[in-house]
Amino acid sequence: MTILTGKAETSRRLRPEGSGLLRKIWEHRADYAYVLPAIAVMLIVIAYPIYYTIELSFFNTPPGLQLRDKIFVGLNNYTAILTSPVFWTVTRNTLIWTAGSTLISFVLGFASALALHRDFVGRGILRAILIIPWVISAVAASYIWKWIYHSDFGIIGAVLVGLGLADRPPNFIDSVNTVLPSLIVVNIWREFPFAMIMMMAGLQTVPDQLLRAAKVDGANAWQRFWHVTFPHLRNVSTVTILLLAVANFNSFIIPWIMTGGGPSNASHIWITHIYELAFGRQRWGVASAYSVLLFLILMSLGYFYVRALSGNERKDGSA
Amino acid sequence: MTSTSLGGAVVRGTVSTALLVSLMSASALGAPVDLSKWSPQYVRSIAGTQDFDTAADCAKVTPLDYKGRLTFWYQGVFEGDPDLLRQYYKDFFATFRKTYPNIQLEDQALTYNDLLDKFRTALLGNAAPMAVRLQILGGTEFASKGYLRPLKPEDIGYATDDFWPGAMKAVTWEGVTYGIPTNNETMAFIWNADIFKRAGLDPDKAPATWDDVVKYSKQIHDKLGIAGYGLVARKNAGNTPYRFMPQLWAYGGGVFDEANANPTYKQVELNSAQSKAALQASYDMYVRDKSVPVSALTNQQADNQPLFLAGQLAMMVSHPSDYNVMLDLQKKTTGTDKDKAQTVIDNMRYGLIPTGPNGKRAVVFGGSNIHILKPEYVEGGKVDEPAAKAIGCMWASPEWSLKMAYAGSNPGNLNGFKTKWMKERLDSIKFLDVTTSMLPYGIPFPALPQSPEIMNIIVPDMLQNALTGTMTVDQAAEDAAKKVKNLTAGGL
Repeated sequence: MTILTGKAETSRRLRPEGSGLLRKIWEHRADYAYVLPAIAVMLIVIAYPIYYTIELSFFNTPPGLQLRDKIFVGLNNYTAILTSPVFWTVTRNTLIWTAGSTLISFVLGFASALALHRDFVGRGILRAILIIPWVISAVAASYIWKWIYHSDFGIIGAVLVGLGLADRPPNFIDSVNTVLPSLIVVNIWREFPFAMIMMMAGLQTVPDQLLRAAKVDGANAWQRFWHVTFPHLRNVSTVTILLLAVANFNSFIIPWIMTGGGPSNASHIWITHIYELAFGRQRWGVASAYSVLLFLILMSLGYFYVRALSGNERKDGSA
Repeated sequence: MTSTSLGGAVVRGTVSTALLVSLMSASALGAPVDLSKWSPQYVRSIAGTQDFDTAADCAKVTPLDYKGRLTFWYQGVFEGDPDLLRQYYKDFFATFRKTYPNIQLEDQALTYNDLLDKFRTALLGNAAPMAVRLQILGGTEFASKGYLRPLKPEDIGYATDDFWPGAMKAVTWEGVTYGIPTNNETMAFIWNADIFKRAGLDPDKAPATWDDVVKYSKQIHDKLGIAGYGLVARKNAGNTPYRFMPQLWAYGGGVFDEANANPTYKQVELNSAQSKAALQASYDMYVRDKSVPVSALTNQQADNQPLFLAGQLAMMVSHPSDYNVMLDLQKKTTGTDKDKAQTVIDNMRYGLIPTGPNGKRAVVFGGSNIHILKPEYVEGGKVDEPAAKAIGCMWASPEWSLKMAYAGSNPGNLNGFKTKWMKERLDSIKFLDVTTSMLPYGIPFPALPQSPEIMNIIVPDMLQNALTGTMTVDQAAEDAAKKVKNLTAGGL
């Protein structure tokens, strides 16, 4: 005969019957209690702003009115965005900026990681030097590069003119044609070390015996890379590319400080445009609608990121 | 009889007291500054004619032993300002703390370009400071939204007539005054006489018209291979409208009719033939003649100053303080650069800003104002009004409105022109006569809540669209006019 104490009896009575979700939650109540403070903080600092941004995206906020006097306009902000020529310019810029920065940073970072994976004298020093751009504050880097690129007195222009390779300094950031590629170069310079570090970590996981076996079987360097090394790095590559893409989609400091989105919107990307709409023009409603669209895009990138991570975990589990 | 003599004594006493008070106030405040007589000679004639006791004057507004707490944001000094001004800012806050030892002052300096953004954000979260000193462009925006409490010079011990009428217009919204002007300035035209001479121009004569500026700029560039005029066209930077609007107005254009004596701001004029002519002049210099810095689209005036000192730029529109800035920059040079910089400084000349084709001369009537916030928008929900008035009284006093504008501006309080520091300033700040002479040509930005967006975004955008070739001059002007119309109509 089982004798239940008063406390155990109460617990039994409180426990939900059946095998549903509630029962599972009840069984893991201690785990939920541990994460509850974090969830509460996230609800306050993330969920509420997201809700408020979505709400605000349905309102017009003219500069002569306070935000509390906003006017409901339904989906007009979304319509205004999608029919605005600036939207397409900014979207095109954002895609070029994100794709260009992400892919070239990844390729450069991967190449650097492969080079630094081999043993040679001064490898440690070189590795430390290559990480410097990533460590430098983006604000400081932007100002330095602004002067390097300066269309009248930049060092690049001075060297080219000095060597007789150009009659006058090239126009890097004051031309609608060259400004975006020039900013992408700065962004790549700053973030390729991140890709390098990620890929170096990935390279540590490639089994050495497999590479040796492939060599014994007569595989050349390219074949060993393509058939052994690269398949092992597929997941870390996916994660690195996704992280770079999200960071670049969200990138603000370099374009804002160096050009403010100009000249003539040629270097405006979504984030700088949203900032200008909200803080420069006080179009909180339109800026919020842009933010909602950006949120959806980033969430879809986030979904792929989580999938890539889950793929890793499944593989680890089955190994 | 007794009652008659008592009544007589009362009358006599009253009359003599009134006379005494009137004499005292006349000696304390003196005759008002007569703006109709404004000229460099008049400014010199009134300088140093009157003494003011700032602490005593402000004690009448807020007792000196008042105990309180004040949060205060202001547009502070930045990299383009001279060291002299930096010192005056330090002195002001030290003096305020000494004069009001029981007011706990929490002050925060922000740059011109950051202040509006940060202040707007703070207001959205009801986390604004109790008092703020904003650029002249911002007051109307916040007054129209109901963030500011009414505040007129009389509230802090001064008279409305003590301030420039144009400055008062900029702090007035729908007939109510919401702020006190602290300083008001107009810029002047600066050129390098040595470059003019080498380019075959009269070294002591400024270009008379904006068309001359275009011609001179080309001549200088073609002969010497350096930049002629210091064009500035960066977006979201206060420097751009301060340099382009005088050109726009001189050609007879405008955003609205703000250049008229009694503007109505009803009709958009950015696409008028006159406005297009002004934009065409910038286009001719940047695109056709390539006679201005290529970096103009990303430059601010602070970037032009080193170019001018290096002898690589011949002309620019700027403050009287630029002379002191050049002296400060020269101190940082070494070797032969020091001598080159000295040559530039020796050849620095100031003149009136050129006129348009019809002889119209114009300049932006700039400056800053102090405002007090309504409690519901302030962190903590309380405004310490006596403390806020104390800082308003002190900054807008004849003494400090002069000292805080010593090198780069002019006192908002006209009585500042009568102080001994004005006399000292006339002797020590070179070319001050020229910039004070520009004051009567000053035109305030439109007193509309949409003005910051128009001046900081739409006008620079128009310039950039034309100068980059993204649009023709006509298209850029039409596009800008359309944006202004849409904005004032409350469009998205």
